[in-house]
Amino acid sequence: MRRADSVIAALGAAALAAIVLSLATGPAAVSLGQVLDALAGRGAEGTPAETAERIVLSLRLPRALLGCLVGGALSSSGVAFQALLRNPLADPYILGVSAGAAVGALCAALLLPGDAFLPLPFCAFLGAVLAASAVFLLARRRSGVSRERLILMGVIVGAFLNALIMLMVALAPPGRIPGAVYWLMGDLGLGTPRRVGLLLPYVAAGTAVLFLLSRGLDLMLLGDDAAFQAGLPVEKVKAATYVTASLLAGSVVAVSGLIGFVGLIVPHGARVLIGSGHRRLVPAAFLLGGTFLILADIAARTVSPSGELPVGAVTALSGAPFFLYLLRRNGGKA
Amino acid sequence: MSAALLSARGVRFRYREREVLAGVDLEMEEGELVVLLGPNGVGKSTLLKIFSGLLPLHSGEVSLLGRPPASFGRREMARILSVVGQDLPVDFPMSVEEYVALGRFPHQGFFGGLAAEDRGQRERALEMTGLMELRRCCLGEISAGERQRAAVARAICQGAKVMLMDEPTAFLDIYHRVAFYEIVTRLKAECGISALVASHDLSLCAEYGERIVLLSAGRVMASGRPEEVLTPENVRMAYGVEVTCDRNPATGAVRVTPTRR
Repeated sequence: MRRADSVIAALGAAALAAIVLSLATGPAAVSLGQVLDALAGRGAEGTPAETAERIVLSLRLPRALLGCLVGGALSSSGVAFQALLRNPLADPYILGVSAGAAVGALCAALLLPGDAFLPLPFCAFLGAVLAASAVFLLARRRSGVSRERLILMGVIVGAFLNALIMLMVALAPPGRIPGAVYWLMGDLGLGTPRRVGLLLPYVAAGTAVLFLLSRGLDLMLLGDDAAFQAGLPVEKVKAATYVTASLLAGSVVAVSGLIGFVGLIVPHGARVLIGSGHRRLVPAAFLLGGTFLILADIAARTVSPSGELPVGAVTALSGAPFFLYLLRRNGGKA
Repeated sequence: MSAALLSARGVRFRYREREVLAGVDLEMEEGELVVLLGPNGVGKSTLLKIFSGLLPLHSGEVSLLGRPPASFGRREMARILSVVGQDLPVDFPMSVEEYVALGRFPHQGFFGGLAAEDRGQRERALEMTGLMELRRCCLGEISAGERQRAAVARAICQGAKVMLMDEPTAFLDIYHRVAFYEIVTRLKAECGISALVASHDLSLCAEYGERIVLLSAGRVMASGRPEEVLTPENVRMAYGVEVTCDRNPATGAVRVTPTRR
């Protein structure tokens, strides 16, 4: 028990360190000392120091915080879907939830007049919930919802929604959705204080609800029947988890596009560190996910000499082999 | 008339067009150890699921402490009745003690942690099932038989008065089969627990079961003391197997030995 608490503390420290490292990384040379000065509000007079402070506080800090929120939210969402489906290989992408969110966000960008910035996360959430409900209803039978059917329906609904996304991007009037292609690959470059502020309440609320549901999530690992017989109101907990996990994934997609594999890798790593008890797993996965995505973003910004890679490319590059490793290790039984 | 602890009257259940239970009557009194026998697919598991409220009733009447299972709240029900299943979460790294402690859920607040009482019950369950040494092992790392004992331990930890067990000795070797029935007998004597055990272990059931209910073709074919139920005729009719039924010279219990075709 004590060990678990120290693991969470270490993960918190790692997340802070990743943020500071991210603030010191970029095309403009800013030293670690300048970063710390800027964070402490000790901005020295004189142009170079002032510029450094501006770069750190108004460009890099929002980006780092956005990375932390996005990575944390995707990981929490992954933890929730994995418990819900009793399958360590599930995540918002496999279930078509992220694709639903992307369709929702694109609808908002294409159909709503003027600046559709504020309703964007909400529309993405609606898209995510609609996709999740469609998957749920299609998978539902009189005897209940089996996890195999649920994943199968997720793949089918996801394929359909991806086709819709391609159609919408291809047919959109020129200039209507600038950067759509980059956004679809997953991008943190849109990190502005406004976006961080927009995402924060969704992520905070979603993660808090998952934390409160943690005992129910523990029991969900026993399977529907055993959880029911152990005293859990299974259908209610399932519905609450589904909505919350969709909220997290949806709001993140609205702000930073489709970033894959974080919701799959990070929960696995967090379980290795801290076990399957969700009361500790939810915060641990959030912190680890935040750290992971910030580091992936640092890599995305530094590996290419000619500019930035979308962070989604980096997570997929590291995530897909890891997924294969998990699949082979589990002998395909998961 | 005193209400039975658990009772089924004229229970019918069908999966689509296949009728599994065609009018089952069964009563269990407090402190009884009843063994449910019958061939594969006869509806033993279905009956246990109906008792635990997991499956709806198509016709007939079921009651737990005189009330229909559906009238209980989930946690209220789980404090009265626990179920030993077979499907443990091996895909996730969960230790034996974490798994066993999940049995305390109906006694805790939804948001609460383990209290001293919960820990005490967990220790007792681990001790009774001989899992103390394995408590920190992950469920995926132990043998099927050890997992089966962990499932029993979780049900003990749940602290319910009635235990339903679906083939709890399926993966156990002969030592642990005997140990399992010893545990149930001990729970019955020390805690006044009543158990309904679905099993295929004819001779061992005869040794420990006070009453045997033999299901065949969706109905109760015979019910009573082991020597009344386990006769060559009954076993042939239910399972389609020729057997010799004699007595164990050491204990006097019925012994069922299959005969080669």
